[in-house]
Amino acid sequence: MAESNNRFLTVEMREAFFMALYKKAFSPVAHYVARMGGSLDEAQDIFQDVLVIYYEKVTAAGALTIVNEKAYLLGIAKNLWLQHYKTVHKNLPLNEYDTEVTTDEQLASGKILLYLETAGKRCMELLKAFYYDHLPVCKLAAEFGYSGTHSATVAKYKCLEKVRDTVKQNSLNYADFIE
Amino acid sequence: MNNIKTIEDYCFGRMANGDALLFEANVLLNKKLAEDVTQQGITYEVIKKYSRKKIREEIMAVKNKLVAVPEHQGFMQRIINLFKKY
Repeated sequence: MAESNNRFLTVEMREAFFMALYKKAFSPVAHYVARMGGSLDEAQDIFQDVLVIYYEKVTAAGALTIVNEKAYLLGIAKNLWLQHYKTVHKNLPLNEYDTEVTTDEQLASGKILLYLETAGKRCMELLKAFYYDHLPVCKLAAEFGYSGTHSATVAKYKCLEKVRDTVKQNSLNYADFIE
Repeated sequence: MNNIKTIEDYCFGRMANGDALLFEANVLLNKKLAEDVTQQGITYEVIKKYSRKKIREEIMAVKNKLVAVPEHQGFMQRIINLFKKY
């Protein structure tokens, strides 16, 4: 686990991280989107996606140090804009509009997330901290009030098992969760 | 905790080659284990989806702060002005 992940321990620390990135890179991204004919809303949506991608990049195990953060973020934004542009301007026949079907499985996966956000909130936060934020187990133990790394690891596996059981009970499959 | 740690070690490539081969053979022979592997893989996707949703909410809160807090309004106004030029 990257030691630099100590920067993302709390909501407040992540807020400071995202705020600094907004101040540093939102202006050039917005400028690019405006120049390409996009709207402020589109610039904001693109920039939020950029921040999610960048966050995942810097918290990943073995993450590289990005030397020019601003240029890097602008590069991601340009790629996302091109993808967005292609999607929006795809010439679809009229009968293909508004035909998105919500399947039973999608409804089930939405329900599961809602359930996990409420009934299993603490577990989900623990799993997020470990698997997504990639926090070191010792920090995770302190943050979640466990006596040590062993207790935190056991709790993490118990939570994982709980979510796996929920997945099993609801017969979910990969397609329900792949974005 | 049943097989949860073993499956995780396999999924994240933390198993030695020989152990991984043995594990794969077990998966072929044991339908319940095969289901557990699939369901655990889906569980990691559930965690990712949940986490992305949460991080997006945090980013949205930062954006809302930039819009609402007076000390940041000059910054946001400059951004808004960019869209009036084009």
